Amino acid sequence: MDQIVWSEKYRPSKLSDVINQKHVVERLKVFVKEKNIPHMLFAGPAGTGKTTSALALAQELYGKEWRHNVLEKNASDERGIEVIRNDIKNFARTKAMTNVPYRLIILDEADALTNDAQNALRRTMENYANICRFILICNYSSKIIEPIQSRCAVFRFRTLIESDMKKFVERIVECEKLKISEDGIKAVIEISEGDMRKVANLLQASATLKEKITEDAVYDVASKAKPTDVKDMLDLALKGKFVDARKKLQDLILKQGLAGSDIIAEIHRQIYSLDVSEEKKVSLIEKIGEYEFRLSMGGNDLVQLEALLAQFLLFGKK
Amino acid sequence: MSWTTKHKPKSVKEFVNQKEAVDIFLKWIKKWKPGDDALLFFGPPGTGKTSLLQAYANEHNIDFIEMNASDWRSAAQIQEVLGQSMLQTSLFRRSKLFLIDEIDGIAGREDLGGVGAIIKIIKETKFPVVLTANNAYDQKLRSLREHCELVQFKKIHVYDIERKLKEICENEGINYDELVLRGLAKISSGDLRAAINDLEAISHGKEKITIEDLDSLGSRERETSIFDIMKIIFKTENILTAKTSINNSDKDPDEIFWWIENNIINEYEKPEEIAKAFDMLSKADLFRSRISSAENWKLKGYMIDMMTGGVAVSKREMYRKFSRYQYPSNIALLGRTKADRKDMKELLGRLSKQFHCSSRKLKTHYLPFIKIMMKNKGTRGQLISSFQLTRDEIDLLK
Repeated sequence: MDQIVWSEKYRPSKLSDVINQKHVVERLKVFVKEKNIPHMLFAGPAGTGKTTSALALAQELYGKEWRHNVLEKNASDERGIEVIRNDIKNFARTKAMTNVPYRLIILDEADALTNDAQNALRRTMENYANICRFILICNYSSKIIEPIQSRCAVFRFRTLIESDMKKFVERIVECEKLKISEDGIKAVIEISEGDMRKVANLLQASATLKEKITEDAVYDVASKAKPTDVKDMLDLALKGKFVDARKKLQDLILKQGLAGSDIIAEIHRQIYSLDVSEEKKVSLIEKIGEYEFRLSMGGNDLVQLEALLAQFLLFGKK
Repeated sequence: MSWTTKHKPKSVKEFVNQKEAVDIFLKWIKKWKPGDDALLFFGPPGTGKTSLLQAYANEHNIDFIEMNASDWRSAAQIQEVLGQSMLQTSLFRRSKLFLIDEIDGIAGREDLGGVGAIIKIIKETKFPVVLTANNAYDQKLRSLREHCELVQFKKIHVYDIERKLKEICENEGINYDELVLRGLAKISSGDLRAAINDLEAISHGKEKITIEDLDSLGSRERETSIFDIMKIIFKTENILTAKTSINNSDKDPDEIFWWIENNIINEYEKPEEIAKAFDMLSKADLFRSRISSAENWKLKGYMIDMMTGGVAVSKREMYRKFSRYQYPSNIALLGRTKADRKDMKELLGRLSKQFHCSSRKLKTHYLPFIKIMMKNKGTRGQLISSFQLTRDEIDLLK
């Protein structure tokens, strides 16, 4: 079936179509040619082609039958390492059906695993090393324990540069026959911050709203797609309307189910454009850091964010 | 036979008070089929949690099987005791109704499997199961709550207790002074069972009870109501007073934590006070997380100090006003939005495979854009058929 969402539709299925990451792609192609792959660790910022490269590699390695030989897991969705290990065990029980001697396990967002879980994973990697190969994907390789890193070939994916982003935008524009202004293209690239997924999503959402995509249209979509509630919430707190701000926060966490760390990251992004003095911004950033730390120590999302929000009360205009 | 047993309601109609709870229960049991959620009755003692089930079972002539969760030590034991009887239909095809009492007393922590075993039973049982708890918001019942509909039993009104006592006196042929019954009802603080026990005690071997008989009653250790606790914590400036206020409560510190959390803004008005009080809670919360991750129960004292004393001293001076303290709003909100969150989780789980990313990433990176795309009629149709969205799911993407 045709992919409706462009981020999937324009996900390259061949290694040679992966934009920018030449240094990585060249080596991956050699692995495919020799049908011999090591365990691998793909690290790099969001939307730079890590998952895409892993999937493309799988398709080139196994051809049409790739789905039968690849287990795709996402570490941040699974309930615990035990679940992942069980799935891997079941998967590894049968041998590859092709002339490639290994089956492939792609573990995405591997940095979501705790150290203990990673140690368990390490043992699993060793146990099945003769029949399975792992590709671990993460944003920061430093979050992966050293014993795993040392067993993997580590590939760093680079942030995309503007000219690469432009190539990708133009490809979609051409295929979808979009009308878009130069300013519009610029806006898409600027907002996406090197994230291809965001490029595709922004373009598609803009195209569904407007016949011709202009700079304004793109910014409009970007602001609609942002959790505006976060901005509103901060403004309310700064105005001293804590009761309303707190309601918004409860809504974000309890109704929409957003993770505390995602909200706090958005608060951090919003700080720079708030209507307070630069000096106060710095003090607020310190507070944000403090409560993010408490969150990472196991604090409750709602309690910690409420406490942070209450701090904003102190920095508003009287 | 004690009076509490003798004068138990024989049918649901005779049931005193608790109209809301009774309605939820009747609706639930009429529709119940295997695989449905269980009910979790919670509320103070003597408010009719067990009696309601007994009355219903009696009225409909079904087997009523009652168990106490605090007797079980392990998951295996729970399976052993419950597994058989809940999975098999009885010889004469009589229906059954199960009650697992005091679920909050279940031994061990969540990962020892006790709670997991109960959840498994809820999923597999062929008969309706009701659980009871004094404190439904106990941390260790967190995952269990996802499989239960919560039903609150409130304290019984003084007037209703008085009426029931009157009925019993007439039944037993005892002459009474109205003031005595009112007194008994008041002393009981909403606990009907306690009131009946007291009545039986003072009328033992007598034909008439008088106001003097009340003096002979030993005072039962009574819990401080949660509203009184709030009043003490928010009004006092002494941390020991704040801390000890929670000693005689039927609620555990975790639940009181959420009461304080929700009522800071009902009491404190100055930004500095609000900020300080929430910071205290944030610190208490950190102790709480260390307690559960390191199983270091000694830390509980610090958590309680921070959330009671810490919040108490966050004010500059006492507010001389009447504050209406409210039930924790996050718990209420969680209850109301449970169905939506469950649907959303399922939808995200299904879509995340197509998008090769986690549910969490899908929610933050894709969902906002998909919502915008849904506003365009053409794209909307394509998305609906491509993702095979149900009507409920379409609503979630509004």
